[in-house]
Amino acid sequence: MIRSNPEELIRKTIARFVDAEIIPVAQELDNKGEFPREIFEKLARMGLFGIRYPRNKGGAGGNTTLYCIICEELARGLVSVASITAMQCLMGTNFLFHYGTEEMREQYFLPAMRGEKIGCFCMTEPDAGSDLGAITTRATEVDGGYLINGMKTWVTDGPEASFYTVMCQTDPKKRLRGIGYFFIPRDFPGVSTSPRFECLGTRTTPICEVAFKDVFIPKEYRLTPEGEGLNAFLKIIAEIRAMTAALAIGLQRAAMDDSIKYANERVASGQTIGKFQLIQAKIANMATNLEASKLLTYKSAAMIDAGRDALKEATMAKYFATEAACSAADECTRIFAGYGYSMEYTAQRYYRDTRFLLSGGGTHEVLQGNIARWAGV
Amino acid sequence: MNIIVLIKQVPNTTEVKLDPKTGNLIREGVETIINPDDLHALEAALALKETHEAVVTVLSMGPPQAIDAVSEAMGMGADKAVFLSDRAFAGADTWATSYTLGKAIQHMGEVDLILAGRQAIDGDTAQVGPQVADFLDLPQVTYVFDIQAVHADYVVVKRRLEDGYERIQCRLPALLTVIPGAGKPRYPMASRLLLACREKAPIQVWNAADIRVTTAEVGLEGSLTQVMRTFAPKFERRGTMLEGGTVDVVRTLTAHLRENKLV
Ligand SMILES: Cc1cc2nc3c(=O)[nH]c(=O)nc-3n(C[C@H](O)[C@H](O)[C@H](O)COP(=O)(O)OP(=O)(O)OC[C@H]3O[C@@H](n4cnc5c(N)ncnc54)[C@H](O)[C@@H]3O)c2cc1C
Ligand SMILES: Cc1cc2nc3c(=O)[nH]c(=O)nc-3n(C[C@H](O)[C@H](O)[C@H](O)COP(=O)(O)OP(=O)(O)OC[C@H]3O[C@@H](n4cnc5c(N)ncnc54)[C@H](O)[C@@H]3O)c2cc1C
Repeated sequence: MIRSNPEELIRKTIARFVDAEIIPVAQELDNKGEFPREIFEKLARMGLFGIRYPRNKGGAGGNTTLYCIICEELARGLVSVASITAMQCLMGTNFLFHYGTEEMREQYFLPAMRGEKIGCFCMTEPDAGSDLGAITTRATEVDGGYLINGMKTWVTDGPEASFYTVMCQTDPKKRLRGIGYFFIPRDFPGVSTSPRFECLGTRTTPICEVAFKDVFIPKEYRLTPEGEGLNAFLKIIAEIRAMTAALAIGLQRAAMDDSIKYANERVASGQTIGKFQLIQAKIANMATNLEASKLLTYKSAAMIDAGRDALKEATMAKYFATEAACSAADECTRIFAGYGYSMEYTAQRYYRDTRFLLSGGGTHEVLQGNIARWAGV
Repeated sequence: MNIIVLIKQVPNTTEVKLDPKTGNLIREGVETIINPDDLHALEAALALKETHEAVVTVLSMGPPQAIDAVSEAMGMGADKAVFLSDRAFAGADTWATSYTLGKAIQHMGEVDLILAGRQAIDGDTAQVGPQVADFLDLPQVTYVFDIQAVHADYVVVKRRLEDGYERIQCRLPALLTVIPGAGKPRYPMASRLLLACREKAPIQVWNAADIRVTTAEVGLEGSLTQVMRTFAPKFERRGTMLEGGTVDVVRTLTAHLRENKLV
């Protein structure tokens, strides 16, 4: 039986889309810094937002590996488009999909798959980033539902959103064991958003704060059942880290491709700069780091697909691939030298966009602490 | 109505590189795509499906890796596919290619409309569409960029001319060769792509026996033409820089032109 390999087929399709629809406009989109509505709608028409969900429930019938492949290819074009897509496929819709009622699926999940509604994920607070046990957004049980009070920040896609999946504290004494995820439509009374943040990188991704003041939500809008919040968090955080690693791989490839092209073109002292051993060393390191990043990342994705606990592997992948992306973007600006400092070239964008990958999915100081603990200290 | 779309997988480059030793096309490392004109033919068929009761079947002949072109067409919305893949088909010239495609179409049952691309970007002959029509004894319209109306027994189409277009009514069944029109070919849908990868997918893989041809009738053996040698032509142009004052330069140039009988 002759059949295509699904991973190669999806990669080829997205690569073609990125080459034709994203790369030619990437600089312009980044300069404008507006939400890339047109591309978002095209991605929706290709049914990519449902890549991780089963086909009989409005998804495309793929898995985490395919999700990571899509994120990687998109990030090769523009990291912010990839991060918007990543949000819609996973964090923005995951708990709604798993725990929402049939009515919520109809009203929010399916429109999100079609790109008509945008979902966000709110964990970070002004006074609680790495230490999520310290969040103070409260869900208080009242007659028929919950009252939500608190403030979330760094909400990716917040300004464009229709609904939020919000991490709330139900019992402050329990810290992380007291957390749960709650579903809050943006148009509910008491929800407000700040103006959009002005950011260093991933400039088409809109980010803002979201405040909840005595927002009443019905009982069924509590997504994770009591006692399951922490487990749900640990599971999704593994997939978030695998995905972030995939974004980092895409960014590495973009920086490396442009570096190689430039090294083969630019002439100094009568030869192309790629003939200099110190430039060759940079490319050799990029190529080797890229290969290692792929192995770590797709190993963790395959473990998630096999239903195994992949938190350690995904954490290592995110840490390694992102550091490699930072190094590749840094070296890229050096290979481009003066032009690496010019806003007309791509190198500066790669350099700025790495900073998002450093925080998203956990800072590397925190990740190194985790990894060291798992290693035995 | 039953629509068949002929699609060919081609290397994604208009600069086909030849192996200087064997004269064969270098395919390694070159990304493959559906021939661009064929994407437009498929888009036209899928657009018809939106307004008419139509079943779109893609037909492609190629080596096993050309299955990706078939899967992509399924991803775009084709209902089914027939993939002709057999070592016996290899090395076919345009005549043998058309014969094999024609035989397969006869084997596929009733058809109302066959769409092909005008021309493949690698072989570049633009012969296959017309030859398939001839083999099946069907009317053909080439260079179609707009299918304006489809009725039970005829179509109205616009075909491109050098200095304008012709509007043609053609009885069905017919074969049209298609060039890019107004509709941009759609991207595939992820869910359909993944379905096309499954064993259960409605993609039939046929060999020579399946379409009732002997190996002598198809492929290299069945080809009427044989390639003696393939080579990339060498361009050896040498320029001469004329130096000196303007008057001297013009004098030298005109003398040179006269000498070479160019003026
Ligand atoms: C572009 C962007 C988009 C984002 N999108 C979202 C989103 O959609 N939803 C969301 O919830 N959040 C989002 N975030 C927030 C992100 O998850 C946080 O920035 C991250 O968790 C770190 O928190 P913080 O910024 O408060 O840093 P802090 O926790 O204040 O850390 C400050 C410094 O202290 C270090 N540090 C903290 N704790 C430890 C420790 N235990 N050991 C060692 N060092 C430590 C950190 O590594 C860092 O260097 C986004 C951030 C960015 C930049
Ligand atoms: C490496 C190489 C070796 C070759 N060897 C020979 C040889 O020995 N002798 C010789 O005469 N020719 C040879 N050819 C040419 C080869 O036969 C043609 O590529 C082939 O027959 C199709 O012709 P074309 O590419 O010109 O397509 P065109 O006639 O330009 O294609 C028009 C349309 O026909 C349809 N079509 C064409 N091919 C197919 C297909 N396989 N499946 C489905 N639909 C199709 C498509 O819709 C396409 O848009 C060779 C070509 C290559 C690249």
